[in-house]
Amino acid sequence: MSEPSDDPLIARVAGELRRPVPISPDFDARVMALVRRAPPGRAVRAWEWLREPRTLAVSPLGGLAMAAGVAGLVLAGMWSRQPSPVSRQPSAVSASAGAQAPVTFVFLAPDARSVALAGDFDGWDPARLPMQREGSGLWTVDVPLAPGRYQYAFVVDGRRFIADPSAPRATGDDFGTPTSVVTVGGAARAAGGSL
Amino acid sequence: MRVRIVILAIAAVGLAAPAAARAQTERLGGRLDERTRAAVTALVDSARAAGLPGNPLVNKALEGASKGADDARITAAVRALAGDLARARRALGAASTEAELVAGAAALRAGVAPAFLERLRADYPGAPVVVPLAVMADLVSRGVPADTAGRAVLALARAGVRDAALVAFRQSVERDIALGAPAGAAAAVRVNAAERDLGLGAASPTSGPAARPPRKP
Repeated sequence: MSEPSDDPLIARVAGELRRPVPISPDFDARVMALVRRAPPGRAVRAWEWLREPRTLAVSPLGGLAMAAGVAGLVLAGMWSRQPSPVSRQPSAVSASAGAQAPVTFVFLAPDARSVALAGDFDGWDPARLPMQREGSGLWTVDVPLAPGRYQYAFVVDGRRFIADPSAPRATGDDFGTPTSVVTVGGAARAAGGSL
Repeated sequence: MRVRIVILAIAAVGLAAPAAARAQTERLGGRLDERTRAAVTALVDSARAAGLPGNPLVNKALEGASKGADDARITAAVRALAGDLARARRALGAASTEAELVAGAAALRAGVAPAFLERLRADYPGAPVVVPLAVMADLVSRGVPADTAGRAVLALARAGVRDAALVAFRQSVERDIALGAPAGAAAAVRVNAAERDLGLGAASPTSGPAARPPRKP
């Protein structure tokens, strides 16, 4: 939309501006030639360098060293994927054949005056394995155990036998109080998968 | 010279065995009254003569003493354990270790059939099977039917699952049960999942473990 002007000068200028500008037919070709002549950017030069085929000279010794390095990296990756050993938990730990594994027993009894551990590993004598009081009413003790299955219970204040709530119960109760079970594994039976 | 060495070795073994037996029963001193101690000592001696370990029997008597059980109950518990150990030895073989017999006795007492123990030993002659036996017993104590527990552990052990993974399997089943799953179904589902993870294809523990050849250690 334009407004008509009464000024003849403005009308003449407007007419001049509306006149089409002649463009040379080879204008496009000349512009593109200039663009092609411009030096490529750093990224373009890097890409061209990467795409350009090259010949590498490697001595036999160098080739062997490189192969050994690659094999080492592969083996390291496989080793890092081996299953980690069982953490120290009261219900199951692992030990090498014949060796003893430290097992940490933990019991929560904020109001207890004393807590001891009694089981197959100490002749069910509460005096032999007193537990240490930690913060927040936790009682703990570390016991080295050889591979096997052991029954145990916590003895609170020297008289009450209480089963470990975090461990499996022993089947059958011979003496009227429930007991718990801890299993210490031995050597592996066979190289196999893991869950 | 060689004959003399052999005689000395035999004498040393002959002296050491009774000494070990005495050390075991001496642990009863001061913990049991005379009558109970005599009865338990007789049971321990009898068990040892039959090739069974005496240590677990002494431990059972000491457990009863610490818990204040009466004589009859202690003697009965020791006698029952001796019977379980004997059954475990029959199933697992005379070369079994004390730890294996204890774990086997617990599995049998839980209700696992001796056939599962026999198959486990046949699959792994000379290799430790304490953890598979313990996991069988533990699963039953959590409510898994004994037959299902036996088949599940046997199937996993035959698939080459290691001790730590067997314990993890048991813990998974325990979690499922705690969340309200029926015990038998929890074990079956977990076995199938484990076998899928191992790329063995699903096989229900109730379908029998003999479908797959065992791996030898």
